[in-house]
Amino acid sequence: MRFWLIIIGSGLVTYLTRASFIVFGDKVPLPPVVERSLKYVAPASFAAISVPLFLGGDGIAGFGEDIPRIIAGAAAAAVIWRWKNIPASLVVGMGLFWLLG
Amino acid sequence: MSELSFQRDAFVDGVRRVFPLAVPGAPFGFVLGVLIAEEELLPSFASWASSWIILAGAAQLAALTLLADNASALVVITTVFLINSRHAMYSAALRGRLSEYSIATRVLMSYLLIDQQFAINETAPELESPTLRYRLWHYLGAGALLFVMWNVAVALGVIGGNWVPESWGLSFAVPLLFGGLLVLSLRDFPGMVAAVVGATVAVLGRTLPQGSGLLLGIVLGVAAAGFLAERRGDTDQEVVA
Repeated sequence: MRFWLIIIGSGLVTYLTRASFIVFGDKVPLPPVVERSLKYVAPASFAAISVPLFLGGDGIAGFGEDIPRIIAGAAAAAVIWRWKNIPASLVVGMGLFWLLG
Repeated sequence: MSELSFQRDAFVDGVRRVFPLAVPGAPFGFVLGVLIAEEELLPSFASWASSWIILAGAAQLAALTLLADNASALVVITTVFLINSRHAMYSAALRGRLSEYSIATRVLMSYLLIDQQFAINETAPELESPTLRYRLWHYLGAGALLFVMWNVAVALGVIGGNWVPESWGLSFAVPLLFGGLLVLSLRDFPGMVAAVVGATVAVLGRTLPQGSGLLLGIVLGVAAAGFLAERRGDTDQEVVA
């Protein structure tokens, strides 16, 4: 029961973050400079999510172990940059990761 | 409301456009399912249900890990809130484009505001002109595919996880996916600054409590890019605003 309550609570706060401005705050005025800055939410979020995952988590001491991930990630990024193709980048990235790791 | 009635081609376009972004999510869901099955402290069905109750993989993984560790309700829910608070920024970024829909429609659309959904809405130029009806059904098509693939992947992981050895490193698909979304979202110099600042702060802040380094990285990245854009005079909307 406790487990279900915590899961439902977690679902609720997650939903509230998603609905925050679309449903509840649709009329809340934001300063124009903030409105204009929102187009940078995408690059800032995706970088803040992905980069720490490439770097493992052991800091500088563990950098050697991160090298296969970094090479695979860089190659995948190059494929996306050139061909805008996520599945192809996944094949290249996973392939290199398996070869080097 | 009839002018927003079901539009098949828009729905199919949404499914097709999000499909390449949904595929890399599947291994993550699968790995999450495997962890659920291995963690015998947690009830499997409820853990699987959390994948559609929360519908955000990273937060779900954090919540289940903490629950298995006997963390308090407050710690679990705070952690989920901090990891998912990025959605509030997605919500703010999209609200202008969704403001013409009824409250009920926006209540449903909010539930499906998944990372990849946000990514296609931000990066597909084709979505800027079409009608309200087209954009609604495109959004729901994309959301439906993401929803179904995610929950099926988690279920498959719970059921058949033992067949896939950990050495395959399937979870590496997650950084590859978000790295790809990052590349697709880079369009100008301030955007690159947003990415560099966001990544640097998130890496340095990795040890901050409850994953708050992620939120801090996003906020500071957006702030740095916004500040830079203002300084460079990218203020073409100034007159309108």
